[in-house]
Amino acid sequence: MPTSNRRGLIRTTEEDRNNREGLKGWLNPARYGWERVSYWLQRLTGLFLLIYFVGHIYETSSLTGGPGAWNAMLQFTETSWGHLFLILVIGTSTYHSTNGIRLIFTEAGRGLGRPGRPDYPYDALSLNYRQKSGIWVALILAAVAMLYGGNVLFGGE
Amino acid sequence: MRIHYITGLAALFVVAVHILMRLIMPFHTSLQYSNVIANYHNFPYVVLLESILVLLAIHGFNGLRIMLLELRQNRAWENGVTISTIAAMIAIIAFGTRTIIIANGLGVV
Repeated sequence: MPTSNRRGLIRTTEEDRNNREGLKGWLNPARYGWERVSYWLQRLTGLFLLIYFVGHIYETSSLTGGPGAWNAMLQFTETSWGHLFLILVIGTSTYHSTNGIRLIFTEAGRGLGRPGRPDYPYDALSLNYRQKSGIWVALILAAVAMLYGGNVLFGGE
Repeated sequence: MRIHYITGLAALFVVAVHILMRLIMPFHTSLQYSNVIANYHNFPYVVLLESILVLLAIHGFNGLRIMLLELRQNRAWENGVTISTIAAMIAIIAFGTRTIIIANGLGVV
C-alpha cells in the first residue's frame, strides 16, 4: 500500500518491494515481445557505447605524447580484433540512434494509433506494426552499417 | 528526458560530420599523426570535437543515471547516482578538453 509521496513518486512498503523482480526482470527479454527486446538492446548498446566513448577519449589523449605514442596506440587498435570491435561500435551506434529516434516519436505520441476498447486477448494497441517495423528498421540499418564499416576497415580503402 | 533527446539528436549530427572527416580520404591515411594534428589545428573542427565531447558526455552519463534510477529508488541512491554521474561527466569533459587544447597547440607539449 502506498505510504507517502515525494516529488510525485509513490513510496511503497517493504512487502510490495519483495514482489519486484529487480535486475532479473530488467534483463528478461521474453514475455513482453519485441518491445522488450528493443528496450533491452537500447540499454545494452547505450552502456557499450558509453564504455567505448570513455575509451576513445583515453585513446585520443595519446596525441599529446607525440607521434610515437600515437602510433603505438594505433598499432594496438589497428588489428583484426580492433577492426571487429569497431564494426561492433558502428552497429551498436546505428541501432541506438535509429531506435532512439523511434522512441522520441513514440514519446511524442506519433505512431501509437488511436486508443481503443481493451478486448481479449488485451494486446496493447500502442504496440502496433509501426512500432515493430521501427525496431526492424533499426536492426536492418545496423546490419547495413556494419557491412559498410567492415568493407572500409578490411577493404583497405 | 528532454535533455536526453536534445543531446542525442544533436550528437547524431556532429558525430556524423566527425565520421565523414575520416572517410573523405582513405581511412588509414586519415589516422596518420600529421593529418590528425592538422584536424586539431582547424578551429571549426576543434569546436565540433568539443561539442561532441560535451553532448556525448551529457547524453551518456544521463543515460547511465536513468538506468541506475530504474533499478532502485530511494533518496540516498538517487542523490548518490546523480552526484556520481555528474562528477564523471565533468571529469571526462575536462580530460577530453585537455587533449583538444594540447593537440591544438595552445598547451605545452
